[in-house]
Amino acid sequence: MSFKRRDVLKAAAAGALAAGLPLPLRAQGAGNLRFGLAMPLTGSQSAYGKDQVTGAQWAVEDINAKGGVQGRKLEMIVLDTQADPQVGINAVNRLISVEKVPVFITAWSAVVKAVAPIANREKVLELSVGASSPDVATLGDYVYTTFPLADVDVTAVARYAYQKLGKKTAAVLYINNDTGVDAAKVYREAFEKAGGKVTVYEAYDPKATDYSGMLLKLRASNAEMVHIHGLITDIPQVIAQMRQLGLKQRVSTYSAGYNPIIVKQLGAAAEGLIVTSLAPGANDRPQVKAYIERWRSKEGRVPNGLPYTQYLYDAPVMVAQMYDWLLKQKLAVNGENMRKALLGVKRFELPMTGVTEVDATHRVKKPVYLLTVEKGNFVPLATVS
Amino acid sequence: MFDPAVLAQILWTGLATSSYMVLFTIAFSLVLKVMKLWNFAQAGMMAIAFYAMYAAVNRFAWPTAAAVVFGLAVTLAATLAFEIWGLRTLRARRSSSLLFFIFTLVCSEFAAYVLTLVFGTEPVTLFPEILSPVRVIGQIAVSDWDLLGVGVTLALGIALALYLRFSRDGQFVLAVSDNAELAELYGIDAKRVYLVAFSIATVFVCAGMYLYGSRTAVIPTAPLQLMLFAVIATLLGGMGSVLGGALAAVGLSLLQSYSVLFIPSQWQGLILYVFLFVTILFFPGGVRRGFKAA
Repeated sequence: MSFKRRDVLKAAAAGALAAGLPLPLRAQGAGNLRFGLAMPLTGSQSAYGKDQVTGAQWAVEDINAKGGVQGRKLEMIVLDTQADPQVGINAVNRLISVEKVPVFITAWSAVVKAVAPIANREKVLELSVGASSPDVATLGDYVYTTFPLADVDVTAVARYAYQKLGKKTAAVLYINNDTGVDAAKVYREAFEKAGGKVTVYEAYDPKATDYSGMLLKLRASNAEMVHIHGLITDIPQVIAQMRQLGLKQRVSTYSAGYNPIIVKQLGAAAEGLIVTSLAPGANDRPQVKAYIERWRSKEGRVPNGLPYTQYLYDAPVMVAQMYDWLLKQKLAVNGENMRKALLGVKRFELPMTGVTEVDATHRVKKPVYLLTVEKGNFVPLATVS
Repeated sequence: MFDPAVLAQILWTGLATSSYMVLFTIAFSLVLKVMKLWNFAQAGMMAIAFYAMYAAVNRFAWPTAAAVVFGLAVTLAATLAFEIWGLRTLRARRSSSLLFFIFTLVCSEFAAYVLTLVFGTEPVTLFPEILSPVRVIGQIAVSDWDLLGVGVTLALGIALALYLRFSRDGQFVLAVSDNAELAELYGIDAKRVYLVAFSIATVFVCAGMYLYGSRTAVIPTAPLQLMLFAVIATLLGGMGSVLGGALAAVGLSLLQSYSVLFIPSQWQGLILYVFLFVTILFFPGGVRRGFKAA
């Protein structure tokens, strides 16, 4: 019995699909305009990662349905990072060396930082879409963010706690990794600069399951406000244990907390929780309303981390606008020119998050939307420019 | 921070949190005592127990009691299959202890991979809500989960002690753990005793995963990390001493809880590794034996 090469490849692809392995998503055809997307498709952060990839896929479909970029189709190659720096490095190496993309999109602070040296060395543009560590702005010439960094929304929530809620003392509890350490520092500085005092400043181990010792320090301090900067896996546990120890302070967190899972897991204990969103909601922008309806009709639910998926929808739109600029300038498709295109376009009109301006500081500024949990739902609290 | 109410709260919460760790340690040290096996496959069994209960509650919408029975049945079936078709084969071939160890580790990883394919890698809790009702006794917050944890652990621990001390089968288990070959000369069926030991360990594993999963999100590879604690407690308590292992698990949990009074919270996890390091180097037979020898 003999096998044709094509049969073997088909069988291998079918096997990979059956095993749930990610495959590059390609719109077949010569002259496609390619870019990479490295996100967690497996692992503890996959609930977010998969929905973000879906948002990006829809954007590519929509762009290509409207004729692509100057008649050429946009092609997105998706690889898994597991939100793990080492896996991320492998994925980005493949995107650059094998897939030869001039630009790639990735997220999660630890991954963004780990792959930055590769992007700088190979002169390939890295767009960070969702990582919030303030360090992301200083990772090198080829690393830009399209997502406001933690200093934007965390500063806004810290100032709001002091100025609008009248809280004079705060506790900052944060996960001891790239996500938590830098952002906690930002909150402390912003709260103290506003005039308040941070009375507890405690990190917890990413593998911890019992937070009672740290929470008893909080109880002893009598802080009026508590800011928790962790991941979706630990934030609900910290709040649950807080409430079980009888701690009733109002809690704030950041955009990771804008997730229905938290309300589901905490029930009534989630009431009053303040979260941030860096993207407009359905009432702010009709495109977002249509996008949420699309999720409901296609997936039967609202996406995990809705604002992040909005940014991921917008990311291929940015790439398309950069390619458009590049083709008009008749420049070669490579990382160096892609960076020129980013700075050349500078001001991007994006359907889900509005205008985004990229500047020389490698940062973007956007309004911060504060929301709070009321009767089991996230409702708007304030918009901070 | 050194207020008596705070110290009492740490003591109570530390005891409650140690409940599932004690259960995992008892399961691990019992198998080690009876079969002389470093059973890292226990992590796989823990994952199977959790996901069987999870499926029963969340996918089949069964009541909690039925879910626990289902979890117990599935895990017991997997454990007995592991003993009958796996370990017995290795014993028949007189395989080295290293091969036994590798085999248990491989089984554990295999279970984690299969569960990943079936259930994915998203962290899930046993029940949709993780909060349990709380009452304040004196100045100490006591949750229903705390009471359940301490109660179940005490009940199972006492039941095991009574079983080993007073039942005929329990005496056989002790005899085989002392000297399997001699026990067989006296007509005790060692194979049957191994099945009994695994069955008891399964009950402890299921109870532990019920407690853990009703409070914390689980992914298929999470139990291996929990196992490390059981291994350290078993080493500290003295290999072959189930009670010693259980007490060491309580001690380690309390030490981790009280450590926040002196060190930042993020260093709590490091304490385990320091103890593992010190125990392996200076007390390879357990702290109690180490001091006796000295």
